[in-house]
Amino acid sequence: MPRIVPPRKNPVVDMTAMCDVSFLLLTFFILTAKFKPQQAVAVDVPIAHSQKTFTDAITILVDKDGKAYISLKESQTRYAMIDELVTRFGDKYPNLKTLTDEQKKIFSLTDTWGTSIENTNTVLALPPNEFKAYQEKQMQGIPFDSLHSQIGDWVQAARYATDGNIKIAIKSDKNTSVSHVQQIVKSLTQRDIHRFLLITTLSGGGEGETPAEGGEPKTP
Amino acid sequence: MADIDTGGGGGHGKHGGGVRSKKMSTRVDLTPMVDLAFLLISFFMLTTTLNKPKAMELNMPKKVENEDEKQDVSECQVMSVLLDTLDQVWYYEGLQVAGLQKTTFAGDGGIRKQILKKITDVPKNCPPMRSGKPREAVILIKMLKGARYKNMVDILDEMDITGAKIYAIQDPDPLEEEAVANGGNARAVEERVSQ
Repeated sequence: MPRIVPPRKNPVVDMTAMCDVSFLLLTFFILTAKFKPQQAVAVDVPIAHSQKTFTDAITILVDKDGKAYISLKESQTRYAMIDELVTRFGDKYPNLKTLTDEQKKIFSLTDTWGTSIENTNTVLALPPNEFKAYQEKQMQGIPFDSLHSQIGDWVQAARYATDGNIKIAIKSDKNTSVSHVQQIVKSLTQRDIHRFLLITTLSGGGEGETPAEGGEPKTP
Repeated sequence: MADIDTGGGGGHGKHGGGVRSKKMSTRVDLTPMVDLAFLLISFFMLTTTLNKPKAMELNMPKKVENEDEKQDVSECQVMSVLLDTLDQVWYYEGLQVAGLQKTTFAGDGGIRKQILKKITDVPKNCPPMRSGKPREAVILIKMLKGARYKNMVDILDEMDITGAKIYAIQDPDPLEEEAVANGGNARAVEERVSQ
């Protein structure tokens, strides 16, 4: 009987298939990776040890001077939001009714919005280069005093646009006076919005565990 | 493994004969390429997932109109924490502003120690609630005008770290403002108010 001789195998493994797969994955990750959007507003977020992550939130940005802006990630949601704003608050702000679809489109392509509702039409009607310059430098912030909290109107519009499935995040500079943030929170609790997310960064970067000591003392 | 054959070809024989090209292997070793690809994959995976913003939750209370729903809180449970404009923390227990003391956000011996002490002390020292349950510490956070947002996040973070269950953000009353402005010399303020 002939002995069964195991066939001699070449120890060289063909890497082509593996290479294909890995490059496919690589292309996928490169294409899906999003660049950090250029921040229209410089906000230096405070440090906290909390590690909760979140998705789908309308972010209320508050900069050092207490100016407030709103920011939404998805442009479709932004379009839905301004649509809702027009239908729900069109009577309160008559100028919204004259917004064209083109202007709403421009709005939906803008990441951060910091203009009072009254001036929305004028700003959206600006020619592209002036609009860009305005967005970069001259945003006035959205008013949020307790009587006319336009931030509240925007947030409500965003909640209508997403059937209430949106979280409200507050991203404020660490040197902002806390009264600005409190006022925004107050104006939203008046509208029965009670849950907020405060955006922070992980501790360990820069000031370390005892922020109060290492921090730069600021006397207003 | 490296299968690229760099042998100098068939060679042009000096001694006559036809030019015989050596059969070259067409296999290219892809291992380093795969290594590189996986390195890049891991880089992109890590950078895309690590970049998610972090957040802490803040739940504000609803307005309670119904008297029955209001919580049964005794003076003994309460500790007030005041934040001022100079990153300092002031605290006092109960309702006596006169006991106002200054501390910091430092991890050891700062406000954290005081809160932890309060949390352990309250169930021992305070009479139980009407329902018979032991009482828990209630921390009232009051931010003075001009306090930085960072301090608010810091104190909420302390609540998270110490595990304080009941805390609320309130507006400071004028007496507290004055006491902090006087550098904690609240006794004088309180005496003047009582007169």
